Amino acid sequence: MAQETQVKAVFPSLEWFQALKEIVNADEHYRRIGTCDTTMGIKINDLQKYYVVTFEAFEVADMREASEDEVEQCDFWLEAPYSVWKDMLQNIKANGKADLQHSLNTLDLEFPEGFARSHDGLRRDAFYRFNQSLQYFFDASSRIDTQFL
Amino acid sequence: MSEQSISVPESLAQLAQEKGFPLDLVKRALALGFPPGAIASQIQAGVDPQAVAAFLDEQERIRAGGEIQIPDDVMALAQKRRWSEELIKRALRTGMTMERVKGLLEAGLRADQMLRMIIITERIREQGPPATLEWMEAKTEWGIRVKPGKKGLTLGSLNVGTYGDIPDYWPRQTEMPRGALPNPLSPSMGYSIYEKAELWADNAADLYEEAIQRQWKPATHIPWDSIPSLPEPQEQALAQLCTYMCQNAIVVSDTIGKWLKEMSYGYHEVKVFLATVAYDYARHFDVFRKRAYLNGVGMGRQSPGYYLRVIKDARRWTEASTMMFIFNASFLLHLCQVGYYASRSEGDALIFRLAMQDLARHTSYGAQHLRYFLSRKPEALLEIDGYLQKIEAFFAYEDDKDPTLQEALIVLLGGGVGEEELKRGWRLLKRFRARWISDYLWRLEAAGMPERRKGLFFYLRQWLPEPAPAP
Repeated sequence: MAQETQVKAVFPSLEWFQALKEIVNADEHYRRIGTCDTTMGIKINDLQKYYVVTFEAFEVADMREASEDEVEQCDFWLEAPYSVWKDMLQNIKANGKADLQHSLNTLDLEFPEGFARSHDGLRRDAFYRFNQSLQYFFDASSRIDTQFL
Repeated sequence: MSEQSISVPESLAQLAQEKGFPLDLVKRALALGFPPGAIASQIQAGVDPQAVAAFLDEQERIRAGGEIQIPDDVMALAQKRRWSEELIKRALRTGMTMERVKGLLEAGLRADQMLRMIIITERIREQGPPATLEWMEAKTEWGIRVKPGKKGLTLGSLNVGTYGDIPDYWPRQTEMPRGALPNPLSPSMGYSIYEKAELWADNAADLYEEAIQRQWKPATHIPWDSIPSLPEPQEQALAQLCTYMCQNAIVVSDTIGKWLKEMSYGYHEVKVFLATVAYDYARHFDVFRKRAYLNGVGMGRQSPGYYLRVIKDARRWTEASTMMFIFNASFLLHLCQVGYYASRSEGDALIFRLAMQDLARHTSYGAQHLRYFLSRKPEALLEIDGYLQKIEAFFAYEDDKDPTLQEALIVLLGGGVGEEELKRGWRLLKRFRARWISDYLWRLEAAGMPERRKGLFFYLRQWLPEPAPAP
């Protein structure tokens, strides 16, 4: 996945997520993983930053800044302090993709409350159902020149 | 019929003209009763007009009562195959050449087979091709057009017009596809589930597409060359976990196969989805068997399988589905989480991640079906509760009596068999089990059974997370 860095963006920001969306939507390998249909929230509580990502068929269909309530209406949301997000993204940048200690699954299993959360036991399973696509989505951030706050 | 009164179909006349084939030969062939399609095929194949003229001469002579001479070598073959002389003459009168008759004799065709062939040819000659085309008048809904969407042309997108009417009761005992015209000749296929509430889930068609789109191949998808062996005790523990996954997959796959034949075709969305589930479990059997063998350990010890027997013995699909896709799939997800967490290579992690993707799809059907079932049959809540009580009890008995799997998980999580490692493994296993029980109850809650939390079998209660202290 190591490719030339093309975009510079600050995490967290809508520009950063938009850049990620464009990278993924132009990536044939992402399509080959298969369809992914879910809405995923992003919660960075200590910064009070919230985003909603809509995955549809073979692409990331929408990406927007949202309120905390909107995030909690998603199928599931990923919730962690800024330091955890930063650590994960730095690891992805360094390795081209998350190593085993920084994958979505591992973070989810490490957190007592889980990294992936939901108000619905059925909708939360989308985190497992589409896990390979979701991991690929975040791994694609290695192609962004990410600036941190 | 005279040659002059024969009308040549326009397309045939045009073909003859294009190929320079004499029109009078076409008319003579039609007059003898040869079908236009057969004549066109011969012209297309570039048949020699002179040979055709000789053949037609002979046919006209025979039809006019002329004597038929059968060569000695053909007669000798006919005697050997017990064909009568009259049978050969009758074949020739239908338009067959002597070379063709000889070829069929040499090929070993029996006299009764030849007679059937002659009768069919005579019937076509007399009545024309056996094409009533009645099937083209089937009163099904026509004019339905479906456009592919972002995901291509999906099974669910076909449910438009009357094809989208999925009845609460399916009246057909045959294998008739929904929307087709019933055929009164069709025999019963012996299905036993004709009621939508007994198997339906609103997400079945979407889950089918998802399963097809996201399928993976153990042989090539997993980087087998880059999965190093774990230290010996963990490698052995992993092989034991893989053995369990194989055993479980066999039972679930068998159980789905047993139920598929009971489900009528009014609800094909569910049937085709379940076919992918059976295939998923075949794949899990495959991938975990390969992983167990990869670094030289192989299969471990068989588990008793008490609670798997309960799944196989279910007498109602909703009973089987709830036990398989909510209780058992939740447990398997828990095992995969342990496997993923203990992975030391990307290959091992990928195996468990891909298996989890499949299992979560199964829980999605299981929970949606149970929700649909209970919305239609709320009076069955206690019945389902009883099934869950049964499988939880049998699981507890097995887990308590045979610690094989539990110990393997402890070794995997703890990273060895030393005292401290076992303690660490036990501590971690308790955490993973707490998560499993929570997720299991949460799925039941989403399916419409929030009360199951109170009825959870006492042995499983030990894993329930402590409630938060009152403020």
